Amino acid sequence: MKRDRERERKKEAKPSSSSSMAVGIGKAKDLHQSLPDSGGMDELLEVLGYKVRSTDMADVAKKLEQLEMVMGEDGILQLSDTVHYNPSDLSGWVQSMLSELNTNSSDNSSSTNFGIVLPGESSSTTMIDFSNNKQIDTQQTGGKMYDDDPYDLRAIAGGAIYGTTAEESPVSRNGIKRMKAAAPGSEAVDVPPESPKPVVLVDSQEVGIRLVHTLMACAEAVQQDNLKLADALVKHVGLLAASQAGAMGKVATYFAGALAQRIYKIYPQDGLETSCWEILQMHFYESCPYLKFAHFTANQAILEAFAGATRVHVIDFSLNQGMQWPALMQALALRAGGPPAFRLTGIGPPQPDNTDALQQVGWKLAQLADTIGVEFEFRGFVANSLADIDASMLDIRPAEVEVVAVNSVFELHRLLARPGAVETVLNSIKAMKPKIVTLVEQESNHNGAVFLDRFNEALHYYSTMFDSLESSALTQPLSQDLVMSEVYLGRQICNVVACEGTDRVERHETLSQWRNRLNSAGFDPVHLGSNAFKQASMLLALFAGGDGYRVEENDGCLMLGWHTRPLIATSAWQPGSTIIE
Amino acid sequence: MSQIHDNDDIQRETKKQKQCFLINDHVDLLIEVLQRLDGRSLGAAACVCRQWCSIVRNDSLWENLCFRHVSPPSVGVRSVVLALGGYRRMYMVCVRPVASRLKRRRFFSGESEVVRRVWSRHEVELSLSLFCVEYYERLLGGGGGVVSGESPAKSLKFLCKAVNVSF
Repeated sequence: MKRDRERERKKEAKPSSSSSMAVGIGKAKDLHQSLPDSGGMDELLEVLGYKVRSTDMADVAKKLEQLEMVMGEDGILQLSDTVHYNPSDLSGWVQSMLSELNTNSSDNSSSTNFGIVLPGESSSTTMIDFSNNKQIDTQQTGGKMYDDDPYDLRAIAGGAIYGTTAEESPVSRNGIKRMKAAAPGSEAVDVPPESPKPVVLVDSQEVGIRLVHTLMACAEAVQQDNLKLADALVKHVGLLAASQAGAMGKVATYFAGALAQRIYKIYPQDGLETSCWEILQMHFYESCPYLKFAHFTANQAILEAFAGATRVHVIDFSLNQGMQWPALMQALALRAGGPPAFRLTGIGPPQPDNTDALQQVGWKLAQLADTIGVEFEFRGFVANSLADIDASMLDIRPAEVEVVAVNSVFELHRLLARPGAVETVLNSIKAMKPKIVTLVEQESNHNGAVFLDRFNEALHYYSTMFDSLESSALTQPLSQDLVMSEVYLGRQICNVVACEGTDRVERHETLSQWRNRLNSAGFDPVHLGSNAFKQASMLLALFAGGDGYRVEENDGCLMLGWHTRPLIATSAWQPGSTIIE
Repeated sequence: MSQIHDNDDIQRETKKQKQCFLINDHVDLLIEVLQRLDGRSLGAAACVCRQWCSIVRNDSLWENLCFRHVSPPSVGVRSVVLALGGYRRMYMVCVRPVASRLKRRRFFSGESEVVRRVWSRHEVELSLSLFCVEYYERLLGGGGGVVSGESPAKSLKFLCKAVNVSF
């Protein structure tokens, strides 16, 4: 027993002193050991009336956590009438509570593979590399299945799915997570009563992995047009997701919702969402550094391109609330030699209530410009698609007079929904004769031809995004911004998963794909300098979750990611020297 | 005997006069002292009395605080900062939170903690940019005028932790 070893150690260390003085004088590591006098019990808890062996403390704490999770809101109903506990023996009480809430399946501890194996599923679908990549041990029940249980997947899927793999029972209606029976303590364990519903024994991390597997299985079902199975799986995901706290649960909920929309063919209307979109993006701007990073790095590139110019013109493909431009204007105002005359052309979508949102933004920017002493001119263009704008509308002045920059943040990918649109736009950009083109896009391929590939990529990407949001949740709890940011991302998820054709506008592509596209359209890359890198790093250090964010330099482009996964990429371009008009 | 008493009285009088050096009568000295304080002490100083409060509210003290350790900024900075709300506001809204965040990070990364922080040019530029963004956001949210002394706009919420003590 561990306790005996500790006693021995103490005796060796201080042979002379009496054991009751161990805490005061001994080494630091002995400080939290209890006085051997009290029979190894933790003395603090003992004061409160509970007897817990200090050696068991960690174990008991863990079990208490499990118990708390298992009880949930409805878990209380599952308890039987008899009272098992002697509260002074805390360890034993916890153990008996846990056992009571477990089924009598602790005897059949067969570790089977996760049950849902669809025909044709290859191991390559498990490309989501979560840190805990172990097999799920599901335990069999005593075979108490109720035929009228709507979540009994076997009834729907039949043998084709469950086939040769071990049976597994669905999660009970209350969605209670069942804990794997922990190593039983030496205290007496009461025989668990029969529970009214069969349940599956998993622990919380495994629920997470199971969620992912179920989502992927559902996506595959959708891919194969097996809508009945997909429907059942989607409901299952909903249940699992509801019981999973944290980022994984939220992501799973959004993906399940999007899958459901795809299955039932309820596509979201895009029209009403434009103004909401801008508000949501503002919240996203405030709660996490992605947009700020995008703006600061793009501004740095533009600033460097504008060096020495007396008149400058920025064409912004995604004006929104114009949050990018105050910082640029301030930097221009303070540059050596004084500010240039600054002209801004903003392009935006039509508003549902026909208000001129662009003009409002322009007016506010003009106020700011006036305050800091920068000569300012604004023009707004409302367009359904960037392809509707061409260079002649924009009043481009000759290059000797005015230096032009084109800026696109999270906007260019929408053009990929219509064939030929992006080439048109790239050509019109060339016609604008910009000195620099800054492009910020999501770093992920959500535009693959195969639905399942898109789904998996998106799952991985948005899981990482939500993870990073969670970290800021630690410092700003109950923040409206975070919730709204999640809704913002949820809209994107919905679009990637549920929509098709011209409706699917969130067609993100990776940096290398954009590089290819721009190179073949006749643009040369411009390297973002070390100033941009330093500023970006400093900006990220300001964020509370700053440890997790990473700035990477990728062949002249900057990428911001969460831990090892890059999430957005900023790149800068100029028209190549070999333009054939 | 009485003479001795008189002498004592005179001595006590002169002593009292010598001890009656009131810093408040020597504002230039006071300012010299205040110029060397850090932000938190300046804030505390403003709570001492009305005279000190009005002196501390003078923006040039805060300008000194912001740019003390940086090479003299370019000419236009002052007008820009004043237009955006002043150095005191900039210090409270941007400079101080930026400094403390970055100092904490540096401390955790193993560098020794410097009691009197030395700014780098990049940090100053970043603070200026954030200050400008903050001003703009208040424009967006506030509609008409911009009231100085309000709590900072939402875009800088990630920097704030506790209640912003503006006076």
